[in-house]
Amino acid sequence: MAEWNAYFRDEDDGEAPEEGEEPEGDYKVTGRDCLVFLVDASKEMFIKGEDGEPTNFDMTMQVVRSVYTRKIISSRGDLVALVFYGTKQSQDPTKSFKHVYVYHNLSELGAKRVQQVDALRGEKGALLAAETMGSDETSLCDALWCCANLYRDCKLRLGHKRLLIFTCRDQPHGGDSVKDRQARTQASDLRETGVVIELMHLMKAGGFDVSLFFRDVISPPEDESELGLQHEPCEKLADLQRRVRAKEQKKRTMAKLNLCLGEGVNVAVGMYAVAVTARKPGAIRLYRESNEPVRSKSRTFHTETGSLLLPSEIKKAQVYGNKQIVMEKDEVDAIKKFDDPGLFLIGFKAMEELKVHHHIRPAVFLYPAEGEVKGSSCLFSALLTKCVERNVFALCRCISRRNYPPRFVALVPQEEELDEGKVQTTPPGFNVIYLPYADDLRNLDPPQTPCASPTQVDKMREIVHKLRFKYRSDAFENPVLQQHYRNLEALALDMMAPDDIEDLIMPKVDQIDRRLGPLVQEFKDLVYPADYNPDNKSAAKRKAAEAGGTAEKKPKVAVSEDELRARIQQGTLGKMTVPLLKEACKQLGVRTTGTKKQELMDALVDKLAT
Amino acid sequence: MSRSKSFHVLCMDVGLSMSNSAPGEDSPFELSKQVIQKFVQRQVFAEVKDELALVLFGTDSTRNPLAQDGQYQNITVHRNLMVPDFELLEEIENQVHPENQQADWLDALVVCMDLLQTGIKGKRYDQLNIYFLSDLSVEANSEELDVIVENLKQVDITLQFFLPFSAEEESVDEAGDAGRGGPGARGSGKGLSREQKTGLEMVKHIMLSLDEQDGLDQIYTLRNAIEGLCMFKRTERRPTAWPCQLTIGSALSIRIVGYKAVTEEKLKKTWLTVDALSHKRDHIKKETVYCLDDDNETEVQKDDLIQGFCYGSDIVPFSKVDQEQMKYKHDGKCFAVLGFTNQNLVPRHSFMGIQTIKIFAPGDDQHAGVALSALIRALDELKMVAIVRYAYNRQCNPQIGAAFPCIKMNYECLIYVQLPFMEDLRHFTYTSLNSKKFSPSDTQLQAVDSLIDSMMLVDKDEDGNLKDLFKVHHIPNPAFQRLYQCLHHRAVNPGTALPPIEPWLVAALDRPDVIKERCGVPLDEVKKVFPLKVMEKKKPLKTSAEIFGKDSEQPDAKKAKGDAAEEDEGEEYNLADISEGSVTSVGSVNPARDFRILIKQKTLPFQGACEQLTHRIEQLLGNKNTQYYMKSITCIQAFRELSVKLGKADLYNSYLQLLKGSITNRGLEVFWDLLVQGSISLIGQDEVEGSCVSKNEAAQFLVADEKNEEPVATMADDADDVDDLLDNM
Repeated sequence: MAEWNAYFRDEDDGEAPEEGEEPEGDYKVTGRDCLVFLVDASKEMFIKGEDGEPTNFDMTMQVVRSVYTRKIISSRGDLVALVFYGTKQSQDPTKSFKHVYVYHNLSELGAKRVQQVDALRGEKGALLAAETMGSDETSLCDALWCCANLYRDCKLRLGHKRLLIFTCRDQPHGGDSVKDRQARTQASDLRETGVVIELMHLMKAGGFDVSLFFRDVISPPEDESELGLQHEPCEKLADLQRRVRAKEQKKRTMAKLNLCLGEGVNVAVGMYAVAVTARKPGAIRLYRESNEPVRSKSRTFHTETGSLLLPSEIKKAQVYGNKQIVMEKDEVDAIKKFDDPGLFLIGFKAMEELKVHHHIRPAVFLYPAEGEVKGSSCLFSALLTKCVERNVFALCRCISRRNYPPRFVALVPQEEELDEGKVQTTPPGFNVIYLPYADDLRNLDPPQTPCASPTQVDKMREIVHKLRFKYRSDAFENPVLQQHYRNLEALALDMMAPDDIEDLIMPKVDQIDRRLGPLVQEFKDLVYPADYNPDNKSAAKRKAAEAGGTAEKKPKVAVSEDELRARIQQGTLGKMTVPLLKEACKQLGVRTTGTKKQELMDALVDKLAT
Repeated sequence: MSRSKSFHVLCMDVGLSMSNSAPGEDSPFELSKQVIQKFVQRQVFAEVKDELALVLFGTDSTRNPLAQDGQYQNITVHRNLMVPDFELLEEIENQVHPENQQADWLDALVVCMDLLQTGIKGKRYDQLNIYFLSDLSVEANSEELDVIVENLKQVDITLQFFLPFSAEEESVDEAGDAGRGGPGARGSGKGLSREQKTGLEMVKHIMLSLDEQDGLDQIYTLRNAIEGLCMFKRTERRPTAWPCQLTIGSALSIRIVGYKAVTEEKLKKTWLTVDALSHKRDHIKKETVYCLDDDNETEVQKDDLIQGFCYGSDIVPFSKVDQEQMKYKHDGKCFAVLGFTNQNLVPRHSFMGIQTIKIFAPGDDQHAGVALSALIRALDELKMVAIVRYAYNRQCNPQIGAAFPCIKMNYECLIYVQLPFMEDLRHFTYTSLNSKKFSPSDTQLQAVDSLIDSMMLVDKDEDGNLKDLFKVHHIPNPAFQRLYQCLHHRAVNPGTALPPIEPWLVAALDRPDVIKERCGVPLDEVKKVFPLKVMEKKKPLKTSAEIFGKDSEQPDAKKAKGDAAEEDEGEEYNLADISEGSVTSVGSVNPARDFRILIKQKTLPFQGACEQLTHRIEQLLGNKNTQYYMKSITCIQAFRELSVKLGKADLYNSYLQLLKGSITNRGLEVFWDLLVQGSISLIGQDEVEGSCVSKNEAAQFLVADEKNEEPVATMADDADDVDDLLDNM
């Protein structure tokens, strides 16, 4: 299990990973991220909403489940625990706390755990929870202490530690000041060991007053100006999902760089990957007999002497123009180096200059790093304000890591946006858009086709209008990944068949047809002749191939009549290619019906023999 | 099937007059040589199968197929048509020199045409080109001119001229090309000899007869040609069509063709690993073995392996066959509309994937063209995009993406880009920048405003036309350019160090000069009103502790290591910082650390660093304060540790003995006790071989000597006093 990234690495040509990729999951460097869910299991959590809305407990379990499955996919090295407090039964590894129930100890997630959380959902879940745990007195102090032990007893190296408290009670101890004080002390001890405590407070009748107790329990916001405590309690599942999601991951920089505006004016910034293509993780090799993972070792040796080769006994080479050109390994690196890492401002351009199709890789996000250079945030903020105001972007030369060749990027300003609940939906900063070089653009020869008339366009407008919807970037799951994980889940749990997935990126054809009604036919009548059939595949295919062919120049041939005669005599006519033969037929004015090589050859022989 | 290829003939004048140049300028010969070098280099690296010949004229000797009876003299076919290679580059570098004859340039042109006509017999060809480089200073025999033009037309040969001067009219030249042509392009008419003028007329005549409209565009100055060849080398790729149907619901479909429009071009070749001595690839073999994760690392055979996947902590064996059978399957190629949405809901930064695709209607299908045009225009008018499901084919995973309308002067299309899946997104929250602490003042905002003003890259010129000073998509990928430059250098000049990056490339990547000039003052203002302070970080200490941490006895080294693990990936950055050599001497803030770094980086010789360190220790000890004593102790520890490490005990030992001698004198008993407590003694022979101190002596140094020392010290004191007295007298 130690070699998380081993199978992704391609050591052979020594190429560095893609620039856009971050060293994700490199636990050797950073330790594992830990997340503890501390969930209130008091009776209040099980009260149903008015219109059959799910209970707070049920909502919490749904969120926990989605975090579980998401983590399995995106960050399976993370450690997660689920602890209930205010329970009747007690269960913890040290057996020293009452009213605390450790449902899942701090460890990696697996299929079983997802199932166990599932069991706690819905009506049945509430019953099961009542049976196994029950509700009774609350001691948040004990609960926090228990969590502290979880962190402490974990044998792995820990990275970022987070504790999320889910509750709908703003006074868990009913005003018992001794218990309150104990809990506060315990919380502060916990915070001192680097645990970030967050509150996910849920709706209750009469409102949730954070200031009564919880204000002194949770970690202060990263910055006093952030008004973290004024969040309204969560009412809806979606809100809770979003809030948990924003807090569940630690943001990490891909790089900390200087944004150089000019000689001596350096703003420190952090670069964050906010969208990274999630891929199926690579397969692991297992030993057939025991199903245990194996490690791979590779070594480089000399084929003649058989001795192992040291890095100094190896060089790099490329072959061009029949010549092998050899370089030292460090020369190969030196060639890639243009400058030290950093962003260098070239100038500004109006936003319209940023072309939609100039896209080569996903954007990254830029935010000031005040800790590196004091004053960065202020200058960054001024730059951001002015860029937004003037509707311009900053063009920069960007070297994101050592020995990376430069790329040009557009820094596109982005203002902060909050939703009604004062939760940040869009953070303030610059989006870094990578721009293509001349080599990255392909020359196209656009086919010439006629334009539509205003009537035709209007009809299409009606169609477009009927099919409007509000796009949200997180609305579509990747069916390929989902299916893969369902399959694994089924195999891991010995299920008969995997759960069905819903393919969200499939067009809802029936709905579309219903909404459009007669519009489609009306549009077709306007643009297509009666006998036109776009589905006529064979015709379409052939025509399309020809259309593609027009982009290229037809090869010209220079085969003289004499040469043909010579070839016929020598019997080497068959060595010519079909297009050449065809061309020759055309030149000599031979009409052929066949396209077979033999037919073409026969025709030529006939012609030249006469 | 082999693709058809092009044939090129480079025809270069190496005659007497080509070496003439104004002082300080490259001669036309030098420029021409650069042009053909760049041209051949680009052919070699693009690895096209095009054939290329090199004809020189004005040569002392004559070697060409047409040379008979004193005709076609002083013309040499240096290399006949073949695929260019490094040998040719080497020959150009080493064998093409200015020579002393002159030759009729029209004769040379005829030789080139002949070469092409004989060379292409029986071959399929795409294009025939002649590139002609000359200063036209020899009067050519114009009798045959029309025959030549006829012949060029018949065989369909493209001709390009590269001259040391501009072919454009004087008046135009003054206004237009003068700036661009630079010093290499002398104005036409001015300074041209009579022969050159007639020659130029003939060139124009030829070019206009070949192409009435744009013929003159094919006459270049040498200087421009070099710039052009530098900048616009790119590997050509033929676009592949992707025919498909755009569907809206079940009833409406439109035939489309997609072409990849933008994608990051990668180098075609990767580095091979070769043996350092033989330079042979097959002398090296890489072998991978698999072993169990047990103490013996038991090897297992490849056949005994199966594949599995992680599902969280579970490892699930999952054979390839099962995987194939259970995986997500779909109907293959598709471009299906899910719905339409406002363009502003699909912001630029949400684009995923590594390419954009342009979608057209097939050129031969008018009806599809009209239908697609209706969609494009409707979307454009409504400022909307289509959200589509896109699958390249059955084997490829389907994507979700957006199709933007794009209406250009001469064509319309949809531009497709991939959008994210839920799994791809990370939701991070960041502290608001609207707090008082970070809010810029009006003066500060004003300064940034002026900076933006001065650095706008798109500007109006005198005629009110917009002019972009910095078009990224016109810059060639510098990584490729640099690699080719280095490969070329290594191939032609083996055994020498790699050259610096070419100046034109450096300039192309930098701020345009105009901007540099304009932004000077506003930049100074920004510098003035925004205080920026690089934070002193503790990290360098941590990292240095990491470097030496393993054998260091300092208790805080371990702690520092633990802390460092808490930090995010800033480490490399800081490591780079300290290795960048910010430490040049042993400072007073953290002398022990500075000393370690100096020794590590070898910026100072060992002895020099030691002298600096002992100097600091003496300074610290002058303060007689426990805190400073502790600091001194860490210095001495570091001194000892590195002396042992480097096997140089003498400096340390002699310093410590000296120090001991002065303890009582300077009243440093408390400090000495600290040394004794920390048992920091001399370095014995057991630790460093060359030490003059035996193990025993080292051990005794702190304990036994102490008592003996005292009387000696007092005696010395007395002696001093006596001396002083004597002196005073």
